Amino acid sequence: MKKQYLLLKIFICFSWITFFQNKAGAQQTVVDSSLLDRIAALEKKVAEKRSGEDHFMVAGLTSIGFSSYKTTNTLNGISAVSKGNSFPDANHYEFSPMFLWRHGKNFLLEFEPSFNNNGLSVNWADVSWFAAPGLILRAGYFVLPFGSYAKRLAAGWINKLATDPMGIAGMTPTDYGIEAEGGFPLGDMKMNYDIALTNGSQLHPDGTLTSGNITDNNNGKTVTARVGLLPFSNASLEVGVSGMFGKVGTPGSVTQDAKGNAYAFDLNYVKNFNPVLLNIKAQYNIQNVSNVNYINPVDTTKTYTFNNHTVSSFAQCSIRPVNVNSFIKNLEAAGRYTMYNTPGNSTFGSDQHAVTVGLSYWLNWRTVFKVTYESYTGNSTASKDLGAFTGKTTTNTLFVQFSIQL
Amino acid sequence: MKKLPLRKTQTVVVILSFVSVMTLFMNSCKVSQKVAAKSGAQLWTENCQRCHNTPSPSTFSPEQWETIGLHMQSRALLSNKERDKIIEFMKQ
Repeated sequence: MKKQYLLLKIFICFSWITFFQNKAGAQQTVVDSSLLDRIAALEKKVAEKRSGEDHFMVAGLTSIGFSSYKTTNTLNGISAVSKGNSFPDANHYEFSPMFLWRHGKNFLLEFEPSFNNNGLSVNWADVSWFAAPGLILRAGYFVLPFGSYAKRLAAGWINKLATDPMGIAGMTPTDYGIEAEGGFPLGDMKMNYDIALTNGSQLHPDGTLTSGNITDNNNGKTVTARVGLLPFSNASLEVGVSGMFGKVGTPGSVTQDAKGNAYAFDLNYVKNFNPVLLNIKAQYNIQNVSNVNYINPVDTTKTYTFNNHTVSSFAQCSIRPVNVNSFIKNLEAAGRYTMYNTPGNSTFGSDQHAVTVGLSYWLNWRTVFKVTYESYTGNSTASKDLGAFTGKTTTNTLFVQFSIQL
Repeated sequence: MKKLPLRKTQTVVVILSFVSVMTLFMNSCKVSQKVAAKSGAQLWTENCQRCHNTPSPSTFSPEQWETIGLHMQSRALLSNKERDKIIEFMKQ
């Protein structure tokens, strides 16, 4: 009897379990069916929006502003004063959309056309191959690795002041060629390198240099290289050394044997001293062109020569109280001293310096409103015999500028 | 085979030597534990502000950060690991 009772209990339990399992299964089937439909619909939507390997985007920048200036030219004790203003500022207007096209994770095309006071031009147009850790290979039209200003700091939304330091970005040209670069750790420190082989600069009849020529004027290519060291583990300090070597003369001209070399030393220090962020930038450039004869612009049957040696430098300091809880944290004060000495006894020789101060208001991390005041002095060292101006020029300019990264 | 002029040869040799030495140097370099342990957030703060203000992660989409990351790697000359950590942080 006990055995029969036990069997009966087991049977009832089994029946209940089977009943509930079936019920639960039935419910599960209904829920799963609904969910599966929704999941399938979502999967279809996701598949339709799948980005694939390629990605294209537009970034870029624009700067627009106003400037008001007073210039005094003094020659033999006689001064001439001129005043003017411009809206937008003719020298510092720029609209530069940057097109970035990424293919997978190893290739990147960069193209930045620029509309500015020179009309329509191109800042860079190149393709980069991220070939290996610490090795990026590039070809096309790109900013040369000479100093750090032109490649990293010249953009309006990065620059703390409305103007570029004279003679710095101009001595760091953009050119056609190939480039290898990379960064790597060195214990607690970091190092980076950047080397380019390009068409190189071309020497003009007056002794000035230009670059960015799609056709080389000679068969000698120019090598430009920079090595940077970040000695502290927090990357607060970077020092760099650059060199540029190449032939600049044009075969068949009076300057055909001319060679050029240039050196740059740059420093970048950014550190948070609570509540203030301290930012120091500096660069020192030296440029030499071998001694050659140039055609005298006053009498083209004659030639003349001069020591074609140019030096430029700047030192800039800015502070921003980033850790203060008020609108003051958006303000940044900056000051800069710039020196630019071009060759004496040429048609363009001048010892120039400028003091620039400014206050910026950051609307957000990439949008800035700047007020900048610049005082410039240039003492001509040019040759009077060549018909050049040999006096002194002073210019005081007030800039108001708005810059944004797009 | 056409013989290269001496100046061209010198240029090619200098470039190849430079790249070879740097590659050898890079491969022999070891990163310290302190540096290797840095988070994406820390690298973002340290490296972005070397040139400009630190960007907000919400500025770009994850896909865009991948692209911007490559562009900025070549500007700041970051290592691949630094780039990847910063991108991952910005994508969050």
